[in-house]
Amino acid sequence: MQVLRKVSLKTLGCRLNQYETDALVTSFHKAGYEIAGSEDQADVTVINTCTVTNQSDQKSRHTINHAAAKNKNGLVVVTGCMADNYKEKLEQQEQITYVVENDRKSQIVSLVDSHFAGEITHPDKLDRDRFGFDAVQKSFHTRTSIKIQDGCDNFCTFCIIPSVRGRAISRPVNDVLENVKSVLDNGFKEIVITGVNIGRYEHEGIHFEQLLEKILEVPGDFRVRISSLEPDGFGDDFHKLFAHPKLTPHLHLCLQSGSENILLKMRRMYSVQHFRETIERFRSAIPDFNFTTDIIVGFPGETEEDFKHTLDFAREARFSHIHTFRYSKRTGTRAERMPVQVPGPVMARRSEKIRLLSERSRMEYFESMHGKEQRVLIEKVDENGIASGYGENYIPVKFKTGNREKNRFEQVAIESMVAGEDTYLFATII
Amino acid sequence: MKTIEEVDQYVVKDIRDLNESTYVLRFNRGIMEFKPGQHVNIGINEKGEHREYSIYSGTHGDYVEVLIKEVDDGLVSRRLRKLKPGDQLSIRGPFGFFLADAKPASNERLLFVASGTGIAPFHSFMRTFPEADYRLIHGIRNIDEAYDKDHYKESRYFSCTSRGNRGDYNGRLTDYLLEAEEEKAEKVYLCGNSSMIYDAMDILRAQGYRHDQIFTEVYF
Ligand SMILES: Cc1cc2nc3c(=O)[nH]c(=O)nc-3n(C[C@H](O)[C@H](O)[C@H](O)COP(=O)(O)OP(=O)(O)OC[C@H]3O[C@@H](n4cnc5c(N)ncnc54)[C@H](O)[C@@H]3O)c2cc1C
Ligand code: SF4
Repeated sequence: MQVLRKVSLKTLGCRLNQYETDALVTSFHKAGYEIAGSEDQADVTVINTCTVTNQSDQKSRHTINHAAAKNKNGLVVVTGCMADNYKEKLEQQEQITYVVENDRKSQIVSLVDSHFAGEITHPDKLDRDRFGFDAVQKSFHTRTSIKIQDGCDNFCTFCIIPSVRGRAISRPVNDVLENVKSVLDNGFKEIVITGVNIGRYEHEGIHFEQLLEKILEVPGDFRVRISSLEPDGFGDDFHKLFAHPKLTPHLHLCLQSGSENILLKMRRMYSVQHFRETIERFRSAIPDFNFTTDIIVGFPGETEEDFKHTLDFAREARFSHIHTFRYSKRTGTRAERMPVQVPGPVMARRSEKIRLLSERSRMEYFESMHGKEQRVLIEKVDENGIASGYGENYIPVKFKTGNREKNRFEQVAIESMVAGEDTYLFATII
Repeated sequence: MKTIEEVDQYVVKDIRDLNESTYVLRFNRGIMEFKPGQHVNIGINEKGEHREYSIYSGTHGDYVEVLIKEVDDGLVSRRLRKLKPGDQLSIRGPFGFFLADAKPASNERLLFVASGTGIAPFHSFMRTFPEADYRLIHGIRNIDEAYDKDHYKESRYFSCTSRGNRGDYNGRLTDYLLEAEEEKAEKVYLCGNSSMIYDAMDILRAQGYRHDQIFTEVYF
């Protein structure tokens, strides 16, 4: 019997990376490889890295070193944003077999296949295809992402992404719709619209909102989430689309700062007032609409007063979760050259304040859902018959069920909140 | 026929001094397509430092111009001035969305507010759409910063000089915005340094402009 080659895939960073890894898992599986468990030895390890902050660089480096040490005779393939940002440095490391840039990531399986067939190809010779991934078949998740665009031309002054993910490019409408249909055929019931800056989607005159409408028209019992979105990526009527039963009432809308002054220095393309009005418009149509966000603390020149504006606005906006980043200087960005960098301890204090606020508003939001109905997509049922999954508002829900089948929808009523490390809502089936 | 790589080679065509510290750098356009309001990233060589510069010229010519002010201790703005016609440039872009939705419609009055070299995108717009209905308020220190003032129709260009008394208004741009009864515009575009933009935005909002009528391009 032929022993299958084992491949292990590790992901760091954003949802887009996660999706691309899931798609590679499918491609390796189709090509006859066995997917190794996280602690197994592997013949091939692919590390899909992130470089968005210093911390992500460190984690990526650690993952590469760990994988190389564990699989001394195996192939180590490094891809992702770090591969673009530090290509030459990584290529000099002996423990790494191949360094593959983002726009050739979808071709990694053919690179590895050729390697084992004795043909050593330089990754630079692979085709560039940012949308050449297989539709996800096997995944550890019940939801899968649909990549609609890649790259970003916004050049926010703190951000390294435009340099590593390249210029904005949108996937043709038909390819997107075909991808949606094939993941639905593969059994997924929830899709997440993903990209680097999806609000800038534009293909032959079709913009983001129009594409979304087309996706919602695809027949089937499924629902659609939108991954992170920039506040300048849609028009004043966007909230109306959420009347569609397939579109879930949650947005991760990136605020970054609640100070107008800092937003200008970040070269973000909206104002706090614009953000406020957006939230108000959504909530007047759907009062329990769930907003989550990203905030950067310690951007160069951020004063106590600027930070207070951020805290005040975050409180007012009632985000159910705030992902806080401490500003991290990235080489080649404009913010790197800005005077008055904020000291580490000040950043740490500000970040802790936001974290506490995020905790509190999460509890408040969860409490406000008491008595309301949710349609939960079941991800897991434990041995006691307790099902867990997310409601349409992107809140974690558990409830008792006699049916052990997962990846199905169940309509429930929220009864109570169970606070703890992973706070969740307890519900009953209705 | 030339290859894309050859067409994509950018060389300095001309450097035109406007005052002691400011100049217009012209280079061949190659195959570049751009819209008024966009910027390019310019470096002396591919691997070296690049900086953003708004395109100054209109979209019709076979060249591209940028308006650059030398910054004290600045790396790129000073080096670029030392270049000679025929020297190579590294150009990335064009990038950006500023002025993307400003169309020269007859019923749409546009208000342009610039500080210093922040006038560049408006110059490109005016060169591209000479018939547009706009009014340009330019905040500068001295009158020698009223760059290419004679390129604009007299009724459209208005300088505010914070020093000297030769401006159309002698004082800060923001004081002018506070005091003046400028005719209401459909859209307002602000370009230049962030502190001017910050103050001007406050004033414009107080005058009743909605956030979706105000657009910004921050240089530093
Ligand atoms: C979208 C965009 C468009 C731009 N368009 C133009 C343009 O059309 N014309 C133009 O001249 N500049 C423009 N700039 C600014 C330009 O990109 C550079 O920042 C500027 O030329 C200084 O670069 P430098 O390498 O000489 O200085 P650096 O070596 O980068 O900086 C030296 C010091 O000067 C400060 N500084 C940076 N920029 C300025 C400035 N403009 N004035 C005063 N101090 C500054 C820095 O904080 C730093 O401390 C634009 C910037 C952006 C983001
Ligand atoms: S929108 Fe700004 S923060 Fe987001 S990827 Fe683009 S440059 Fe980075």
